[in-house]
Amino acid sequence: MIDVRGLTMRYGRTVAVDGLTFSVRPGLVTGFLGPNGAGKSTTMRAVLGLEVPAGGEALVDGRSYASLRRPMRTMGALLDAGAVHGGRTARDHLRCLARSNGIGAGRVDEVLGQVGLTDVAGRRIGGFSLGMKQRLGIAAALLGDPAVLMFDEPLNGLDPEGIRWIRDLLRALAAEGRTVLLSSHLMNELALTADHVVVIGRGKLIADTAIGELAGRFRRDVLVRAADPERLAGVLRAHGATVTPEEAPPGPPARDPSVRGLSVRGLDAEVIGELALGAGVALRELTPRGASLEEAFMELTEDSVEYGAHTGTEQGR
Amino acid sequence: MTDAIAAEWHKLRSLRSNAYLLAVSLLAVLACAGVAYLIGRGFDRQTFEERLGFTGVGAGLGTGLPIAYVVFGTLGALTITAEHATGLIRTSLAAVPRRQVFLFAKVPGLAAVTLVAGQVLAFAMHGAAQAVLGSRADQLLLDGGTLGTSLAEPGVLASVAVSGLSMTAAALVGLGAGAAIRSTSGTLVALVLVFLVLPVAAQALPSPLRAQVGSYLLENLPAQVAGVGGLLPPVAAAALLAGHVAVALAAGATVTALKGRRLRPLLAGAAAVLLTALTAVLPTVLPAAGLSPGMPAEPAVAPASGDAGGAASALAWRPCADKDAPGDLRCASVEVPLDWHKPAGRTITVPVAMLPASGAGRRIGVLFSVPGGPGGSGIDDLKQHHARFAKLRDRFDVVSLAPRNTAVPGGPLPYACLSTGPWITLPGDRAEWAELARANREHAERCRAADPELFDHMDSASVARDIEAVRVALGEPRLSFLANSYGGHPAEAYARLFPARVRAMVLDGAADHQEPVAATEPALYARLERQLVRFAAWCRADTACALHGRDVAGVWRRLVTAADRKPVPVRGDPSGAAYSGFDLKVAAGPSFVSPGREPEVPRWVQLAAAIEKAEGGDASGFADYVRQATGSAKVPSAAGQNMTHCLDGKGYGSYAAFREALREAERVSPHFAGQRSWWPLACAGWPAPVTNPPAPLPAWGLPPLLGVGSWTDHDEVARAVRRVPGSSSLRYEGHGHTLYLSGPGGCVTAHVNRYLISLRLPPPGATCPGAG
Repeated sequence: MIDVRGLTMRYGRTVAVDGLTFSVRPGLVTGFLGPNGAGKSTTMRAVLGLEVPAGGEALVDGRSYASLRRPMRTMGALLDAGAVHGGRTARDHLRCLARSNGIGAGRVDEVLGQVGLTDVAGRRIGGFSLGMKQRLGIAAALLGDPAVLMFDEPLNGLDPEGIRWIRDLLRALAAEGRTVLLSSHLMNELALTADHVVVIGRGKLIADTAIGELAGRFRRDVLVRAADPERLAGVLRAHGATVTPEEAPPGPPARDPSVRGLSVRGLDAEVIGELALGAGVALRELTPRGASLEEAFMELTEDSVEYGAHTGTEQGR
Repeated sequence: MTDAIAAEWHKLRSLRSNAYLLAVSLLAVLACAGVAYLIGRGFDRQTFEERLGFTGVGAGLGTGLPIAYVVFGTLGALTITAEHATGLIRTSLAAVPRRQVFLFAKVPGLAAVTLVAGQVLAFAMHGAAQAVLGSRADQLLLDGGTLGTSLAEPGVLASVAVSGLSMTAAALVGLGAGAAIRSTSGTLVALVLVFLVLPVAAQALPSPLRAQVGSYLLENLPAQVAGVGGLLPPVAAAALLAGHVAVALAAGATVTALKGRRLRPLLAGAAAVLLTALTAVLPTVLPAAGLSPGMPAEPAVAPASGDAGGAASALAWRPCADKDAPGDLRCASVEVPLDWHKPAGRTITVPVAMLPASGAGRRIGVLFSVPGGPGGSGIDDLKQHHARFAKLRDRFDVVSLAPRNTAVPGGPLPYACLSTGPWITLPGDRAEWAELARANREHAERCRAADPELFDHMDSASVARDIEAVRVALGEPRLSFLANSYGGHPAEAYARLFPARVRAMVLDGAADHQEPVAATEPALYARLERQLVRFAAWCRADTACALHGRDVAGVWRRLVTAADRKPVPVRGDPSGAAYSGFDLKVAAGPSFVSPGREPEVPRWVQLAAAIEKAEGGDASGFADYVRQATGSAKVPSAAGQNMTHCLDGKGYGSYAAFREALREAERVSPHFAGQRSWWPLACAGWPAPVTNPPAPLPAWGLPPLLGVGSWTDHDEVARAVRRVPGSSSLRYEGHGHTLYLSGPGGCVTAHVNRYLISLRLPPPGATCPGAG
């Protein structure tokens, strides 16, 4: 269980995190989503006690991380797979961490096996690929067999096989009843992994919801294909709907007018069907359309993108 | 915390680069060996005297230490800066979120590794330097040290061990600096500045500032902790060593805390550490550095300040009025009872003078130079021979006095009377003895009349008590002594009266005052007989001798025997003086003993000519140089000396005792029998009683003494020191008297300085080669 309550983080005059409140519950994989610079990493650093908040608090199982005697047994975290000394072997790196939290050497070999690094355990980390380093970082997070796990962009730099491995691992960890939080700036990465998602932008909470709900909330329009689109459009407009013809498919104009669909907003599919029946227009298709997760995310965070392309043009002027 | 310490320990040993870094510290061993090699090579090309002027390398760690510090400091710095550089620190802090715990958990592992490695390295450095120096290491130097010092020497084992320990300090300083600076390169620059550049810069300072600044540098602290060098007392040096670490770690902890923004408690902690370090160090350090005695800018400063146990001096030191005095000579005076048995009675003023310590070394205390004569002034000795004390003054204030029996014009007793006296004759019967006593008394009474009470308290024991009064006024717990010639009498009196106040005592050509005068005579006759042999050998070898090619001993024996029957007249002397055999022996004695500058030996040339002339019936060859020195045709027995001699019990006591001594002299000394009686005979009829008779030195309660003597006075000093267990004597293979003040310097100076500074005596039978 991770509780972030009214968390505010400042760097000089910049407010990186602004009164953020959310909880991460056990048994689920929670995605922590936001564009670059939204404050995800800062929030996670605050949870680990690496940064001291200007306001609010971030608690792990009801306590501040820094006050835990053997914190790795309560929460495991992977913030930066590159935060290692290249001169040490993987096993030595893990042993150092294990000792600092009173964890036995046997556990080191266990997690090395769990992440598939047993064969290279005696090699120096300096020669590891990014993927191997991610696995090593995950191994470090697992060392203390913690009930809470937190990963910052763990899928970065992984090949598809690696990504699948992590997804399976995270789901399995959540299935064991653990609290799992992973951050990403790409919704697609989370779509197949997360049960729940916390979205932030410019340091503020935008959404805290189940992943299915998120897509639903952004149901956008209804696609209608009708034998007489012109007439139907007139009827629907008369009932207050906004009707936009769909883009024509490429190639020469089709003879069948129903090929060109209508995007209808402001009326439910049910109402559209009844109005069509009343008007005697035959319907070929009636499809309520939701936003893709990615689209939903883009829309949600449109206003909060810190380094959008427009800033570049402004600077270019 | 234990978990964190175990983790840091594993971190330290799991990096191969740390082992490589420790291996690099072997450079320090190479540096020590290299410097020792260069010194040894330079040393081999020098003459014996030039070698004495070398500066010792101590335990031999000097040049290697800064290198070792940089390496160990880097090791310490890397344990934290590498975490910053690689980003590992984020992982580490996630594992150990408490930053101070994280930082200080690095200390035990680092300390453990560097404690072991530091000891290995320090002893390797010492061993390498000593091995390269080889037998040259034992070469004695003018400053009293040796070129190298083996572990068997006092303080060296401790010095090397503390040097090893100081490498741990360097590593922890590196850790603290690394935590404060956080960048590897920045920390390395800082370490190089502190450990390499700063000492070099300090070397460029003028003395004694160089020594004062140098004594605060890490590389010079180990020797000071071991008490074998520098200015700081061991406790202050140890505190400063710990202070280096405390300050660096406090800085590191402060910056670490700042980063974590939990400021207040840690700033307070850091401030507390700093304050503790300062209060521990400052009181002991400040006086030693700034207020050392006799700094040129502080003319009236007391001599004993700043040294443990030394109370403030009650003497009002001021520049000496004298124009021929060296600029830094300080003068003062003490009031003492004229009669020490009546402490509340009349007092006299005794002038004292001091050559203050240079401030370039840790002050040991006061060296008291006791003048000879009797009648000589120790203040004159300091004026004339101040250069002789140059090295010693790095460790001592050199103090002396013009004793109460100093014979100077303008004193309370008429100088004209003190500087002369009757001609002593060898009494042939009781009537002649009585006549001699009458003449002696008559002259003594003439001198005594001006101040009888003073005249009756001129013994060496009173001078010794005056010296004790000076010690009390100086506030010194103990004194070290250099007793010159007759200065041995007050020095020995002091040793009998106040043995616990004697730290060290050098008897340099000092006459023995432990046996009745008759008992000392055989050795003194033997000396004269030996000198006759040397004189004869010179005559055989050198055509400058008027008796060249003749049987010199035979000529001398026939001359004195004939003169005893019929005195040899001094041609042209208006008083009609004539030299008996006894007169000839008395006049010739000093010339036999002291040939003058070699190889010209002017006094032997003069003596040979005088003997030849006397053979021809004219004693004016002797009378001429006697008159030049004394204004009299024959040697007068000066009351100024006898007023002390006779009170010191240097007379025979009775006619019978004299006859007995003379019979013994005739048995042991065919060529000089009777000559030694000239001094005791002057006390026959003396008006003041013996108050300081000869007595043996106490067999215990005194530190081992050092006797120093030449061909002509070594036997006497060896005899004087032998009663005190552990004592030793040094023999200079040549002519001379009061060698430390006026000898050729070099070897004798080195041995005496070594004894006075470190209380180390030369081995039995030690000699110094003669000059030229």
